[in-house]
Amino acid sequence: MVLALAIETSCDDTAASVVDAQLHVHSSVIESSIDQHRAFGGVVPELAGRAHLTTIAPVVRRALLDAGLDPHAPAIDVIAVTSGPGLVGSLLIGLSAAKAYALAWDVPFVGVNHLEGHLFAPLLERPDLEWPIVTLLVSGGHSMIVLQHGPGQHEVLGETIDDAAGEAYDKVARWLGLAYPGGPEIDRLAATGTPGTLKLPVSMTGDDYDFSFSGLKTAVVRATEKNPEVAVADVAASFQAAVSEQLLRKLRRTLVANPALRAVALAGGVAANSALRRGVEELASEFGVVALLPSLSMCTDNAAMIAAAGLYRFAHNGPSDFALSARPNWALAEVS
Amino acid sequence: MNILAIETATAVCAIGLRTTDGFELGWVVDEDRHHTEVLTSSIARALAQLDLRARDLDRVVVDRGPGLFTGLRVGLATALGLSEGTGCSLVAVTSLELLAHGAHEEGTRGTLVCCVDGRRGEVFIQNFRLDDEVTALTSASVAVPRAVVIEWATNGAPVTFTGDGVERYLRDFAAVPNGTLEHQSVPSIAAALRLGATREPVAQVEPMYLREADAVANFSTRQRS
Ligand SMILES: [Zn+2]
Repeated sequence: MVLALAIETSCDDTAASVVDAQLHVHSSVIESSIDQHRAFGGVVPELAGRAHLTTIAPVVRRALLDAGLDPHAPAIDVIAVTSGPGLVGSLLIGLSAAKAYALAWDVPFVGVNHLEGHLFAPLLERPDLEWPIVTLLVSGGHSMIVLQHGPGQHEVLGETIDDAAGEAYDKVARWLGLAYPGGPEIDRLAATGTPGTLKLPVSMTGDDYDFSFSGLKTAVVRATEKNPEVAVADVAASFQAAVSEQLLRKLRRTLVANPALRAVALAGGVAANSALRRGVEELASEFGVVALLPSLSMCTDNAAMIAAAGLYRFAHNGPSDFALSARPNWALAEVS
Repeated sequence: MNILAIETATAVCAIGLRTTDGFELGWVVDEDRHHTEVLTSSIARALAQLDLRARDLDRVVVDRGPGLFTGLRVGLATALGLSEGTGCSLVAVTSLELLAHGAHEEGTRGTLVCCVDGRRGEVFIQNFRLDDEVTALTSASVAVPRAVVIEWATNGAPVTFTGDGVERYLRDFAAVPNGTLEHQSVPSIAAALRLGATREPVAQVEPMYLREADAVANFSTRQRS
């Protein structure tokens, strides 16, 4: 049985996981430094880097112990590590540690693209899925529609031209005086509000697959200033509906244009959003395809998804060299 | 005892190996901040050269700073991975004491001021007395080079300055009439091997930052991805 240990430190989560080649997850450990960032309303790179350095060794040890392995001599065949994109100071810690473990155990290691990791997350829960599929990858740093012809074979159809969806959520939440991160807060409030109370523009109506959310954020600010009597819950519901509408409209376009698609998947932190999950389920049943809605722990950053992508990359491209450096701006389109 | 020393606190990246048989080697593996690319491959090469494997290591010694944050992260994460991975012991030393012990080995005596370049117009600094032994006179702190220069020029006592912080602000430090400039400017890897052999191992290494994270961060934030 081929076993991979994966390490993920691209942002504020220190994560490690042991996964086998059949994509069974033997362990998955995540230690977040999010509490340290809350007061700043966003992830502070220096704080994140310092936290990774403190947590990296204990997190890896726990992932190995949880998988029933000896931390000093584990029966690991390959180490997968996120080498980009992300915060460079954070990436460097996971990457350096991964190389050191590889040297210590005399096993190969492979650098993994974090976004490709997100694309592999649905496979961990549905290894039997049929191709091709379309994935809506939405997080605080990214928003894109990706056509996947098979594992590791992806084509980016469109992405955001300004803010990421999660970023818009955080900015609107800050404007409304809600806690950081804003996504879960707005989602919770939206459940009690009425969508459409606040009139927001429908944007990105062109025949492409790109997104734009910065105008929507500005529109929320203007509309709430003009209509201060609108309840916060209604603002949240209106904003959430507008974001989902745009994302789902582009997803629908993709399904119309690609009748061979067998499934539609959600990935990334915003995939935890209830309106989006509902919308994707409806879209899937309308088009007669499978809805791949990973569990919440698989949507957000984790190392199991890095292991899955790493096992694929190692099998197809071989190991990485110790000279590998971090690539903070590594685009998904450059991965092959 | 087979000991590996890792030093990444400055723009120079160095490693050292001392074996049970008494072989001792030190390498400067890079001089221009390519720590990520060169460190692990250099350690692998060094071990191979002495016919050792990583699991033959009994101890890893690491410079925990103060110094360049990027380099320190690479060095510390590598040291943690190696010691955790092999189960060998881990020992921490500081860049400032490596400078002091390096100068001592070179024969420097008297009062020594060690300065590591801290960027942003500041140096990480610590004063030592060098006689038969090396004794720290102050604890490590952050200082503005001009203030250090004025303090010693006013004091008038003979003093030696060393470290890449001195090199960086050479003209300032050269203006101290009672001062001598030491040319050994990087933390000594030989001193790291020697100090590391006698120190008590630690469970977790705390980097010596000397600056608050939020001051470094300057309130800049990023989106989660
Ligand atoms: Zn992510």
